[in-house]
Amino acid sequence: MNRVAIVGTGQTKFSKDDKDIERLLFESSSDCIQSVNNCNSNNIEGVLVSTNNNSKYLAAILSETIGIRPKISHSIEHLCSSGTNAIISAYAYISSGLSEMILVSGVESATNPGQVLEWDKSRGNLEHPIYWGSMLTKSHKRRFHTTEEELAIVSAKNHKQAMDNPFAYSNEPRTISEVMNSKQITEDLRILDCSRSCSGSSSILLASEEKAKTFSDQPIWITGIGQKTTSASFTKNSLEKIESTRIAADSAYKMAKIESKNIDVAEVHDAFSVCELMAISELGITSNDKSGEFVRNLFNTENRMINPRGGLIGAGHPLGATGISQTIEITNQLQCKSDKRQISNANTGLIHNMSAAGTSSSIMVLQN
Amino acid sequence: MTFFEEELKHGVFQICYCKKCNNTIWPTNEICHVCHKKTEWKKSRNIGRIIEFSKKDSSYFGLVEIDNGIRVLGEILSTSMPEIDQSVKMRVSFHSKPHYSFIVENN
Repeated sequence: MNRVAIVGTGQTKFSKDDKDIERLLFESSSDCIQSVNNCNSNNIEGVLVSTNNNSKYLAAILSETIGIRPKISHSIEHLCSSGTNAIISAYAYISSGLSEMILVSGVESATNPGQVLEWDKSRGNLEHPIYWGSMLTKSHKRRFHTTEEELAIVSAKNHKQAMDNPFAYSNEPRTISEVMNSKQITEDLRILDCSRSCSGSSSILLASEEKAKTFSDQPIWITGIGQKTTSASFTKNSLEKIESTRIAADSAYKMAKIESKNIDVAEVHDAFSVCELMAISELGITSNDKSGEFVRNLFNTENRMINPRGGLIGAGHPLGATGISQTIEITNQLQCKSDKRQISNANTGLIHNMSAAGTSSSIMVLQN
Repeated sequence: MTFFEEELKHGVFQICYCKKCNNTIWPTNEICHVCHKKTEWKKSRNIGRIIEFSKKDSSYFGLVEIDNGIRVLGEILSTSMPEIDQSVKMRVSFHSKPHYSFIVENN
């Protein structure tokens, strides 16, 4: 298999306002292409669009808008992890030799249809993610004695880190007390424990080794990939673990020939506060019963190892763009281009993106 | 509407299963996911146990397991705080979406 690198990135600011999908795609794609020296549209052989939007033929529309006639173009939808799955598809095209350079663009409008999986009749009329979020949270509290304060620290930390992310939907700081006293959604979830659906777009340019060395002084290599789907219906899940994340992480670590202790920085899928605690446990960074303490320590020491851009809670969650935005953050971290968010000596980073209450997970390991 | 939804409308929760593989198919499907043959139906016993619960406004909701392995999210009707493993009776209906209610026994 050929090696594959990230050579360019572009993003729009995330927003609570609904915006024109095609315009957002154009803006992040154009920024992405311009971020690469001496690269123009003619160098790009493939265009993939990740989104939950109902608009049709978006990859072809984007291609025409930015003046590309690609040999590969199509959309990819996989709910919240559409973005990383589009990157993994682009990786496969390049590593197999079918293409040399692919633009992957994720986009979403704030009122997107990707928050509800109508097929899953086991959720009855309780379709909204807050219901499964409440089940996971209550179960975590019961099993691991996780406190309301430990959950609030996840949100306070991620909001604080998002203050230094110019693309986040909000740059407002939130104290632990503010989180704990924010509007109660259910007995186990406050509004500030929840990520917010946003509009926004993120784009990334992937290249073969030969092209990467032509177009970038700092290519970031995708060295590990893991993807696992355990089911589509939430009620098949165990409440105390995210099995798909553990399996996908094992695959990604094996491919990259690393262990969890080698991860310097990670973007994890904090759809709700509890998801960050569960994710860092399933990734092997800590254990379930110590995850609250681990995050408290990060917060107290201002260590941005987990979700330096603010995660989904701090930065916002434009579903189709989220996985790409996470990947851009880790790329910037490994290139030492994260300004105030920079982790020192970051050489290995991880992206964790999941869908539908963790019924599927996608993991990527990046290295400089 | 599917057969499952029609039956919910009449207050009946039908369990979908494969006679050949002895598998329960949930969410329901006309085809068994193992042998890909047509599935069959039988009525639920309408009795379950609470796996987990929470509360929204003044109403409880939660994850309930019925008929030895089928897990369903629905409202929990109880005058006091529900308990894990508590026995519940299921009541179902369909109004553009399935509605599952669980009544705590000895309530």
